[in-house]
Amino acid sequence: MLEIKGLSFAYETDKPVLRGVDLSLCDGHVGILLGRNGAGKSTLLKIITGVLKPSAGSVLFDGQDLLAMSRRERAALVAYVPQQIEFGDLTVFQTVLAGRVSYYSIKPSRSDLDVVERVLSETDLSSVSCRNVQELSGGERQKVAIARALAQEPKVLVFDEPTGNLDIANELLIIREARKIAHDKNITVFSSIHDLNQAMIFGDRFFFMKDGSIRYSGDDQVFLPEVIRDIYGVEAALVNDHGDKFINYYKEFRND
Amino acid sequence: MAAVCLFVGSSHMSVSECIRALLNKSTAANNRIIWKIRMPRVIAAIIAGAGLSVSGLIMQTNLNNSMASPSTLGVSNAAVFGANLSIIAFAGGFLDTGNHLANFDVGANPYSTSLMAFVFSVASILMILGLCGTRSFSPNIVVLAGIAMGSVWTAATTILQFYATDVGLSAAVVWNFGDLGRATYRTDLIMLLAVGAGIVFFLFMSRRYDALLSGDAVAISVGVNVKALRFVSMLLASMITAVCVSFLGIIGFVGIICPHIVKKIFGQEHFWSISASALCGSLLLLIADTLSRSMGNGSALPVGAITSMLGAPFFIAIIFSKGRRR
Repeated sequence: MLEIKGLSFAYETDKPVLRGVDLSLCDGHVGILLGRNGAGKSTLLKIITGVLKPSAGSVLFDGQDLLAMSRRERAALVAYVPQQIEFGDLTVFQTVLAGRVSYYSIKPSRSDLDVVERVLSETDLSSVSCRNVQELSGGERQKVAIARALAQEPKVLVFDEPTGNLDIANELLIIREARKIAHDKNITVFSSIHDLNQAMIFGDRFFFMKDGSIRYSGDDQVFLPEVIRDIYGVEAALVNDHGDKFINYYKEFRND
Repeated sequence: MAAVCLFVGSSHMSVSECIRALLNKSTAANNRIIWKIRMPRVIAAIIAGAGLSVSGLIMQTNLNNSMASPSTLGVSNAAVFGANLSIIAFAGGFLDTGNHLANFDVGANPYSTSLMAFVFSVASILMILGLCGTRSFSPNIVVLAGIAMGSVWTAATTILQFYATDVGLSAAVVWNFGDLGRATYRTDLIMLLAVGAGIVFFLFMSRRYDALLSGDAVAISVGVNVKALRFVSMLLASMITAVCVSFLGIIGFVGIICPHIVKKIFGQEHFWSISASALCGSLLLLIADTLSRSMGNGSALPVGAITSMLGAPFFIAIIFSKGRRR
């Protein structure tokens, strides 16, 4: 279980970004972090992955403090797929192999190569493994980023806006892929996302952030008009179309 | 290429004479030309070419900037200032460190100019890295600080040259040209230690550089200590440059052209691109030195100018060619 307790952080001492964040997420579940721009979502994700250090609080996985671990130990537990995906001029195989860098120094072992081949096969990237990653489509590149994260054999997979720059076909592809990873491999997936309807089909647990702390959390019952009004300042309606729930937040435009 | 470089020179020795001289079976003059003049020069070309090229590659990766070069931290500008100070202010007056015995007659230390160049290069490196350490070695900050520091050294050099005598000024300008003829076995050994240690370290870190291509956040998440890696890599790359530039003068463009050629042809996997960059740098400098000696009509043309003249058209052709095919 991923547990975050009393996490605080500030880029400048008098302007805290996180103010005592508390949350917990079970193994194999997909947790979705929601909130307006600047609410502190990306900062929280960067602390979990070790990119930033908090001023107070702890991040525990199965009771182990991730913040007290060495980089190598943490890399074997937590992997990260960033919002802005960058790649060098490498093949898909070389890029995914970079995810194993904490497991070897100069030459990857047979088992490192086996892990990369297995991950490429599981993410349907084997056929493009020798291609330059720069030549791939947006969806394929996102899958390569996920494959690189999976090559770390993590217990927690953190996504920052995984569908931000994708068309709807690739959005669904990535969401399906991430849910499959969580449920088949029992990996805890924790992701920020902006689109509330995408969030509802993607996640199992939802955490709404405002002013640096978790304001609301729960299963999809937490998507209430008053919650959305408080978090985003937007009037929305929950629509139930024969059991398919979605949120209509364009209502006020249609009323113009 | 090293053999060709060894057989070409202003004394117009034939290949068979060169081979006999290599075996110490030619005239004393020929033996001396091969072993005391050409051999240290060829070795210097191989070592400095490899060092400058690999340093450029490492700077480009660590600063995520394709325009980064071995001199990004203002190393060359600082070296020029140090050398100019030695030549103009302290009458070092030595354009060479060993091959022109007449220089020894005045009784000064033949390494004084190189030493001053090195001291100021290291000062520049430490100042920039010290300053940028407060901002976690953010690549943009490092590049901008390097540009600013480089201009300070250039301005200081200009002021120094303004007060120089005609002789001092021309001596300083000639030092700036870059000349492999200043190499001796001792300077080659010092360069070999610096370049060798650097390349071994860079090869050992090659997989971490691959991870760095995906950005700092991903590199940290896969277990790389990005801040320490960037600091040590930039320090080593700059030290290699400082050593080479201090002994040989400014040899521009090798550190930008060669890494780009290699990346375009072989991709960016660092284990191979570091090795290929080293070979490419050595080759370019050997060719440039051979041409500089055969075109100079008795004296060598500035090798830095030849590397640019030779490499730039090839570089442009590579840039405008279609992408690498796998």
